[in-house]
Amino acid sequence: MDDRELIGRVLAGDPGAERALYDAHVDRVFRLVYRMTDDLHRAQDYTQEAFIRGFRRLADFRGDSALSTWLCAIAVSVTLNGLRSLRRAREREIGLDEAPGLGVQRLDADPDLKSRLASAVDGLPEGYRTVFVMHDVEGYTHEEIAASLGVQPGTSKAQLSRARARLRVALADFARD
Amino acid sequence: MDDDHLEEPLGAAARDYHAPPPTPREAMWQAIEARRRAERPGTPAAPRWIPWAAAATVLLAAGAALGRLSAPGTPAGHARAPAAADADPGRPRVNQTAYRIATIEHLDRSEAFLTMVRASLRSGDRERLAPAAARQLLATNRLLLDSPAARDSRMRLLLQDLELVLAEIAQLPADATASQRELMGEGIERGAVLPRLRTVVPAGTSSTRGDL
Repeated sequence: MDDRELIGRVLAGDPGAERALYDAHVDRVFRLVYRMTDDLHRAQDYTQEAFIRGFRRLADFRGDSALSTWLCAIAVSVTLNGLRSLRRAREREIGLDEAPGLGVQRLDADPDLKSRLASAVDGLPEGYRTVFVMHDVEGYTHEEIAASLGVQPGTSKAQLSRARARLRVALADFARD
Repeated sequence: MDDDHLEEPLGAAARDYHAPPPTPREAMWQAIEARRRAERPGTPAAPRWIPWAAAATVLLAAGAALGRLSAPGTPAGHARAPAAADADPGRPRVNQTAYRIATIEHLDRSEAFLTMVRASLRSGDRERLAPAAARQLLATNRLLLDSPAARDSRMRLLLQDLELVLAEIAQLPADATASQRELMGEGIERGAVLPRLRTVVPAGTSSTRGDL
């Protein structure tokens, strides 16, 4: 059954079709959300929220992009909003004395490449990080990323290039090895 | 170093960035299904023990009835749907004042309600009555959207945005997680619904403030 047929059945009120649609797309959505959150419970919450919003708005899906891309767009939006709220809450909780340490990556502390890369990626600006995770980690195309983030493919390419440049600088000693 | 890919070994390390565990497919589906079931038609209506929210519905119904009865030359027993009656230029116009009063009352109550919910979210309190109250307001909101009150495009947009916010609150489960509550807070802020409500509702005209 293709996506169009599945959408028709969901809109007709078939709960079985909702499950089929969920099964077809949940792995890809969850993987992306988990990569962005690094937290199982949050990834579950945001994935659930993305599907619920997707089901609610399915009648508005015009087919301009693939259904999977449309769902990922919702998931990315939910995740970024959730992470922003979390960041604001943490900033309120952390006292001013600790504030200068925020966002500083202690790259010298860990000799392991994977850990250092993870820290460096975590320290990227939100837009760079999102594009990097979608493209270099999860394998999305620039067209898919552009559709998901509501930007031009050229913007996605530029952000990826800048993200890689920052990572190369941060991990220069590994790159030389 | 070219720009087409992240060279090894960085590329390999990138693919392991925050490596996801197996998808908790069933656990997530159960949560989704529970919320979807609650949204489907036929779900039992919210209890009507929230008097101020119920009052808004009653007020709207009264406003609609007043509008129909006050339309010159329209027999009460033959009142038509207000939107249809108003769309027909050959028919007498319904009394717009009644709808305007009902709308302002509804927006005023909604503004007070959203302010209360937002304060609860910020203080970390659990507002157990909020979903039921939101459902009551949602019912009124939908009636207004189908009425001549929504003819004005600015008012219609406000009611539509308000509907989204109320729907999110109405669907908040009793055991909502912190992230669900955070998302609801985001929903209230989105579209600047609260400031727009405050702009529409004239200061000092409310007769409902004491209810909260």
